Amino acid sequence: MYTSRSHFKRANFDVNQTICWKMLSEDQCEEIFVTAVELLERSGAQVESEEARALFAAKGCWVEGDTVRIPSAKLEWAVRTAPSRITLCDRNGKRAVLMETENNHFAPYFGSEKILDRSSGEQRDITVNDVVETARLSEKLSRVSLVSAPGKPSGVNKNSAGLHAFEALLSNSTKPILQPVGNAKEAEFVAEMAAAAVGSSDKLRQNPYVVFAIQCDEPRFHDQDALGAVMFAAKSGIPFVYLNKLVSGVTAPLNTAGTLVLALANSLVALTLSQFVSAGAPFISGGQFTVFDQKNAVAPFGAPEAGLIGAGFSNLMRHLRIPSAGVYGLSDSNFSDAQAGAEFTYGILTSALAGTNVIAGGGALESGRVASAAVLAMGDEVLGNVHRIMRTFDMDEEHLARGVIDEVGPGGNYLSESHTSFYFKSEQYWPTLINRKRIDDWVDSGAKTMGTRALEYVEELLSAPAVSKLDSAVAAQLKSILAKADQTL
Amino acid sequence: MKNRVNYRANKTPSMKVLTDSQCQEILLAAEEVLFRTGMEYHDPQALEILKKHGCFVDGIRVRIPPFLVERALRSCQKHVVLCNSRTGKPEMFLEGNNAYFGSGSGTPFFRDPYTGERKRSTNQSIGWATKVLDAMPNIDFCMSLGLVQDVPLLVADRWEFEQQLLNTSKPIVNVVTDQWAQADCIAMAEAVAGGAEELRRHPFITLYLEPISPGIIAAESCQKVITGAEKGIPTIFTPCIMAGTTAPATIAGVLVQGIAESLSGLVLSQCAGEGAAYIMGGVYTIMDMSSTIFSYGAPEMDLMLACLTDMGHYLNLPVFGTNGCTDSIIVDEQAGIEAALSITMTNLSGPNLNHDIGYCEYGTTANLDLVVMDNEIVGMARRLTAGIPVNENTLSLDEIESVPPKGRFRNIWDTDWDDDEDFIPKTNNRNFESDLISRAAHDMWKSNGRKSLTERCNETVRDIIENYEPEQLPKDVKAKIRDIVEHAVAKIPGVN
Amino acid sequence: MATYEQLAQEVVKGKRKLVIASTNELLQAGEAPLDIINKALVVGMSEVGVLFQQNKMFIPEVLMSAKAMEEGINIVKPLLQAGDMKSNGTVIMATVQGDLHDIGKNLVGIMLESNGFTVINAGKDVSPEQLVNMVKELKPDVLGMSAMLTTTMLHMKDTIELLKEEGIRDQVKVIIGGAPVSTDFSTEITADGFAPDALSAVGLCKRLL
Repeated sequence: MYTSRSHFKRANFDVNQTICWKMLSEDQCEEIFVTAVELLERSGAQVESEEARALFAAKGCWVEGDTVRIPSAKLEWAVRTAPSRITLCDRNGKRAVLMETENNHFAPYFGSEKILDRSSGEQRDITVNDVVETARLSEKLSRVSLVSAPGKPSGVNKNSAGLHAFEALLSNSTKPILQPVGNAKEAEFVAEMAAAAVGSSDKLRQNPYVVFAIQCDEPRFHDQDALGAVMFAAKSGIPFVYLNKLVSGVTAPLNTAGTLVLALANSLVALTLSQFVSAGAPFISGGQFTVFDQKNAVAPFGAPEAGLIGAGFSNLMRHLRIPSAGVYGLSDSNFSDAQAGAEFTYGILTSALAGTNVIAGGGALESGRVASAAVLAMGDEVLGNVHRIMRTFDMDEEHLARGVIDEVGPGGNYLSESHTSFYFKSEQYWPTLINRKRIDDWVDSGAKTMGTRALEYVEELLSAPAVSKLDSAVAAQLKSILAKADQTL
Repeated sequence: MKNRVNYRANKTPSMKVLTDSQCQEILLAAEEVLFRTGMEYHDPQALEILKKHGCFVDGIRVRIPPFLVERALRSCQKHVVLCNSRTGKPEMFLEGNNAYFGSGSGTPFFRDPYTGERKRSTNQSIGWATKVLDAMPNIDFCMSLGLVQDVPLLVADRWEFEQQLLNTSKPIVNVVTDQWAQADCIAMAEAVAGGAEELRRHPFITLYLEPISPGIIAAESCQKVITGAEKGIPTIFTPCIMAGTTAPATIAGVLVQGIAESLSGLVLSQCAGEGAAYIMGGVYTIMDMSSTIFSYGAPEMDLMLACLTDMGHYLNLPVFGTNGCTDSIIVDEQAGIEAALSITMTNLSGPNLNHDIGYCEYGTTANLDLVVMDNEIVGMARRLTAGIPVNENTLSLDEIESVPPKGRFRNIWDTDWDDDEDFIPKTNNRNFESDLISRAAHDMWKSNGRKSLTERCNETVRDIIENYEPEQLPKDVKAKIRDIVEHAVAKIPGVN
Repeated sequence: MATYEQLAQEVVKGKRKLVIASTNELLQAGEAPLDIINKALVVGMSEVGVLFQQNKMFIPEVLMSAKAMEEGINIVKPLLQAGDMKSNGTVIMATVQGDLHDIGKNLVGIMLESNGFTVINAGKDVSPEQLVNMVKELKPDVLGMSAMLTTTMLHMKDTIELLKEEGIRDQVKVIIGGAPVSTDFSTEITADGFAPDALSAVGLCKRLL
């Protein structure tokens, strides 16, 4: 600056190093928590698994028939005992995803039924090759931190389709894998393959790179298969998301706070069980929410309420110091258009601001039913925008630039200032798919929509050479485990 | 029944970028800039006023002592309300975090809603745009979304304002080229309000000006500030600055310069008429360093405007923000993305008067499909900002316990009120409903013609143009307005 | 020992001090001033133009390179014979009467200069009469006018009309730019061309001359 002399150091200067955002206050989170605890202690939940019920009883909970009631102290113990942070590694054992505080990561949605064919634009069944391509695409998209299959592939044994998908993901990407599992048997096979790829199950436990996603979509009801998977995961030390999929006005109360109470109660049952199985087992609380649309008679997961409730849920998990995940960023649009853009942006922005550790909603249209690679690429771009906003900016003498302002003066310009040259690259976000061309240049480049540019970008990324493949011995091992699964399941 | 103390709740989500320490830092840095570097005011009357109040005036360069800034911040009106032009009833309370939404003004081009062609905007296109804005429930105020280019250009702004007055009863941000146009438009507004005092008491317009950054306030802009202060009409002052070009490349630097420019206008305003209502505006963004466009979609814009808003709250000044716009040439995924980001961020940070809905092609072309789409997005954003009420009732413990595991919950909102009651309280937490957002199953969407949101919005636009009737002005008022337009005297810029 | 390639790269990287040092080194080694310009400085700037087109370099970096090149030119120019240094043409750049927006115009000027044109910046709020006088006196190849408002852009037409009245319209190429301006408007007022941004303005000048 232009001062001749101004030396000082000062105290008492607090800054927000990132945006500060909260849907729920600490007191509100606590109210929701104590209500959920009261619910489980007084009314309990239905636990369909005999093995689980026996364990609950052995640990001091009250079991009557299928109903389990859990004393407050046990619930609080479980919340304290579960780790507040989980590190996921890549396939090579290097740290990749830090699930802690409000750190957020992005992954493709894993529950679609169909996929948009990139050439025809029509919906069709998901194939194993689609899973391969999703893995290879996710590998190249810098803001996709975990990979998952868009959905269960067809053309293979239905019961082991998830495993075929897993094998395809494992062989084509080094990033951590989010893998939905429906029961303990399926989980066991996944664990076997995952361990084979890194050498042993001990290695897998120490450098986890697989996260199970186990779904619960009924109020206060936990089915046998899901809990079997939960107990297996806890025993093996494999992190898992207990994903509460609830619809306000159908499987949850109309009031948002009530939905959060119920979702938390569901999570607490799985959490407590996992800690009873193995104290310190890594647990992630997940959500997929919406409200019932009376007029259209659908449960639209791209609705703004999905983001609203999800934000509350992620804040709640932060309050409890439990890592969070969620299916946010879906669109209800039937194809890629402005509605899709608006909806998935809204979902990604909201869940990132809320501090969701894994946002597993990339690349999905029609309320999640249809997967789209182009939409995944666009979601990646949006997250880049959102991250730029979240990280805010530096404030110090150089950045405040008063000296530069004085030098340039009224009527001047900053373009040729060395201050500009020095800072412009790091202060700005550099988009890849967003158009900033003037109209003539845009027309000359083909007058394309962003969706078209995204499709071309996907093709470009997929045509690049693939990531280092698995060792052929390992690949063979995986194939044999897969064959076993095909026969047994 | 719970009885407790110490329950601090977020009734709505909270978002902050800057701490109070950072706000103070920026304010003091801006005061230093005004004191050390100063601004250029290209108007003799403004220079005289500023000199009289204690500024250091060297030619057209004015350096403002900090005490004037601090005094101006205290004296300006804080409770600023805009009214409906037909009824005079208050419609917009520009204070705190109240976020209202409206369109942008003077785009040279316009997408024809019938042919999709990009054409020069005209008297008719502005009439259409205003009707659409008037019809949209989530749009609160209007700017013109065009320039009248099929009449003599030097008086075109009177025609523009006339179209707006005829086609909407919502508050209008009035944008004109020079002080003579401003006088004409104020006369037109007074005709609608019923007199100068009525306009002062129930203002339904604001004046609008921009400095030429960095550091210059042109003659006509100085005059607008002075007029607004003298006439008691709220005035918006909007630096439109690009990081790295007309402002420093760093975001902190942009904020310092932008706030300094805003305060320079505030000081002139309060010196010209103490207590005048002054609204701090901003279009703070980056220049894209490849294409050199002034970017209307950059995330930096959303971030900087959130900072401007935090400053506005800190300074207790109403804020005029920017959102609902895109760099995309057409209303595609990018438009949806950029509009959703900016509108949601805006609603979360809480600037009061938020413009540029409908702006495509980085502010060059107005698109009415985007206006209709933004109306939906505002609804989505407002659903988020309604927040999550957490109390014994909403926690729903009884309801949850009364539904067995795997059971189903009811889906109808109960009201505790009889239909016979006259007073029906509004609830903030109604679900978002939309006729344009598609939630249809695939086959139904296909059989309905595979339309995109943009196409559905376009149908709404045409329907409004053809069938919607805004509330009309009385015949004699229309005649008075027409008279002023027809007798407008053209002034050549730079000569008079 | 500096080489032409090295000096060209120093221009590309915008290293002012290194350009000064290398230019002096080359001069001392006996290299011809005109060669230093054509084989190093101009070569470097041309590469900058290509890299900018490919989105590998950006405006502030282009300007740094232009500044660096200018340092080199300033050292070499006094040593040239008169008429040695060929300019691609002389351009007067102005913001029209009643308008104070000039950043776009200034950017065009800088780009033109770094592409070998001689640029005279007439400033802002320049009346048609003043512009016509400048054209008469300085006899430029191109007159470039910029405006930000639909009202002030009318002065572009006035200026062209005045040139016609004075009988000198065909002595100069007139190009226009600015947010409200377009090709249609350019045709309407019988200008010789419109450029939407700085780089295309350079191309336009090259094509017209």
